[in-house]
Amino acid sequence: MKRLTTLLIAMAMVLSLAACTPSSPEETESSNTPTPSTAATEATDDMVTAATEITLWTYPIGNWGTQDTVDALMADFEAATGIKVTVEYLNYTDGDDKVNTAIEAGAAPDLIMEGPERLVANWGDKGLMVDLSDLLDDTDIAEINAAALTACYSTDGACYEYPVVMTAHCMAINKTVFEAAGAMGYLNEETHTWNSVEDFVAAIQAVYEYTGSTVGAIYCGGQGGDQGTRALVNNLCGGTFTNAEHTAYTWDSAENIEALELLLSMDGIDFDASIVGGDEIQLFYNGTLKVAFCWNIAQQLDPNTAGTGAGMTGTGDEILFMAFPSDDTPQLCGGIWGFGIFDNGDDAKIEAAKTFIKYMCDSEATADAVTAANYFAVRDTAEGTDLSGIWADNEIMNEYNVLMPMLGDYYQVTSGWAEARTAWWNMLQAVGSGTDVTAAVADYAAQANAAAAG
Amino acid sequence: MPNKTVSIHKRSRRLMARETVSSYLFLAPFMVFFVMFVLYPMIMCVYTSFFDATMGRDDIFVGFDNYVELFNDSVFRKALLNTLIIVLVSVPVTCAFSLWIASAISKMPVAATSAFRCIFYLPVVTGSVAVTMVWRWMFNNYYGIFNYIGKDVLGVLDKNINWLGDSRYALGCIILILLTTSVGQPIVLYVSALDNVDKSLVEAAEVDGANAMQAFWRIKWPQMMPTTLYILVITTINSFQCFALIQLLTSGGPNHSTMTIMYYIYYNAFKLYRYGYGNAMGVILAIIIAILSAIQFRAGQER
Repeated sequence: MKRLTTLLIAMAMVLSLAACTPSSPEETESSNTPTPSTAATEATDDMVTAATEITLWTYPIGNWGTQDTVDALMADFEAATGIKVTVEYLNYTDGDDKVNTAIEAGAAPDLIMEGPERLVANWGDKGLMVDLSDLLDDTDIAEINAAALTACYSTDGACYEYPVVMTAHCMAINKTVFEAAGAMGYLNEETHTWNSVEDFVAAIQAVYEYTGSTVGAIYCGGQGGDQGTRALVNNLCGGTFTNAEHTAYTWDSAENIEALELLLSMDGIDFDASIVGGDEIQLFYNGTLKVAFCWNIAQQLDPNTAGTGAGMTGTGDEILFMAFPSDDTPQLCGGIWGFGIFDNGDDAKIEAAKTFIKYMCDSEATADAVTAANYFAVRDTAEGTDLSGIWADNEIMNEYNVLMPMLGDYYQVTSGWAEARTAWWNMLQAVGSGTDVTAAVADYAAQANAAAAG
Repeated sequence: MPNKTVSIHKRSRRLMARETVSSYLFLAPFMVFFVMFVLYPMIMCVYTSFFDATMGRDDIFVGFDNYVELFNDSVFRKALLNTLIIVLVSVPVTCAFSLWIASAISKMPVAATSAFRCIFYLPVVTGSVAVTMVWRWMFNNYYGIFNYIGKDVLGVLDKNINWLGDSRYALGCIILILLTTSVGQPIVLYVSALDNVDKSLVEAAEVDGANAMQAFWRIKWPQMMPTTLYILVITTINSFQCFALIQLLTSGGPNHSTMTIMYYIYYNAFKLYRYGYGNAMGVILAIIIAILSAIQFRAGQER
């Protein structure tokens, strides 16, 4: 009897761990899946009174991940509207897990701040978000960057994100070391572009021979910062990540395979499964790596932990941000961030959340929201307030503007995006471990496409 | 006289009933907790494993499809193999090393025994995240201490080894870290077990001419068998459930070389949103652990 009891307890320990996440069929139907607000309420035509307390979960989008900055914004919002916002800060390591667990437990936040890849392609696609189309009048539609706004709409025509800021993701080089290695002739410092892919390869080789160590890392320990590796591979030989219709993943194309084989053949480039994008940035800041593929204006403005100042590494070397190497016009991966509302079935809270979005994205306060994010506004004016001059006094931001016309297709809204991202870094690990490139790419692209097909 | 007996019986029955009720009342808080947080999730795990369950839509009953898919899934097979390797290496090594250390320090003066017990127990009471981060730094590809010693101090390495990023070394690194965090408790338990061995039996054996080895295997070892059995079962379960190390260090990579069943459950549930499939793995893992635990109990009892 004792033995049986012990075995049962052992089984219970394992099973209860495994069962942290499941949703029972009944729960999925009743409580776990947020009920569409239109159905949950008894469809009254009366005006819904906004709630006085709502929750916002935000990923670290510039200083929207910094409590002091966000507290000030929330205090201003509360003073203006009387609505109190409780903020929870997420990170890119386990933020998705927290949100998904909350969704399964029926405890999703009212508001969430992130990009269309999560708000539209993931949670929106799963029917968990509120359609924000009613917040966008003709003036808003005319004012907001068309490409950014398009990315916020799902294929069924619903708008699941109200965008507020955008940027272009790029790469960076340690200019001081490149100069010392005689590699600056391979790039155009004015336009922040490489002369050609061949010159990029030559520059990396020159720096490798000068330093005798790894120049850049294809980080693939997880999905963090994977936009950098995607953009690098896609640009090198003219490949794409998805088709133009955003219905299928195309990273098993001959161009992408050729690009991966090129990267594998480069002495100065290592496929490193022990780091992710954040680690790569730190290794670049501390001077270990001479090239960073995970970069954008937020990193360029960061005075780094050593406090040597913006645009400098911790060792005092100068950083030059660059477009990804391409023989054509580089296609940079865009970053678009804004707010979405989880459909928790509470109309009062949805109304309050919409008030919040209007306040942050389309009012006099929008300038503060944009400044806090350290990115560019998605619109030039908001309710008559000029947003085009927000960064007029910032030399780095002005210089970074040269990359904005290179923004490529915002393909991150393709169905099955979360699964495709996971397949991508697993594919890079397989390639880095010596698996045949064609076979590895085909295998993982098939997984991504299976997810896209639903 | 009979009336008096009946009255005593009644009173004793009432007393027993009251004690029984009291016992159940004392048990109730634990039972509520056990049912809510252990039994219910366990039942739901088994139940959901028969569904194609994901976020944002109704679950679809698929019968045994998840289980069939499991055994055709090469990553699951790899995860199962890795998990078995971790168990087969870490369990015997943990037990043998703990016994060796415990034997050595139990002969020392009391102060020294206590000091060593504390030292070996430190990794257990230190936060696993902190311990793992220190190991991560030591294994770092670019500036880790192992590469520094191997390359710059001893000169045995031509170039840095990417310990956690190379599929040839990553699993070995995980097992090494697991060992350092697993030996603390067994050492403490073995020191106690050695202290509790009947000294008179050992002295009698020595008087009869038994050498130290014979005294250990014939007298001490059988008396420590219950402790050994407990350590084996607990270490086996812990090894099977190795998750935090993988999550913090390798995410199952590179190229699934450190993928374990526990991490693959998490990966399917939280990364791919395949709850039913993840739960099917949980059921299989539970069955494997139950079978191994039964074998260990049987072997222990036979000894």
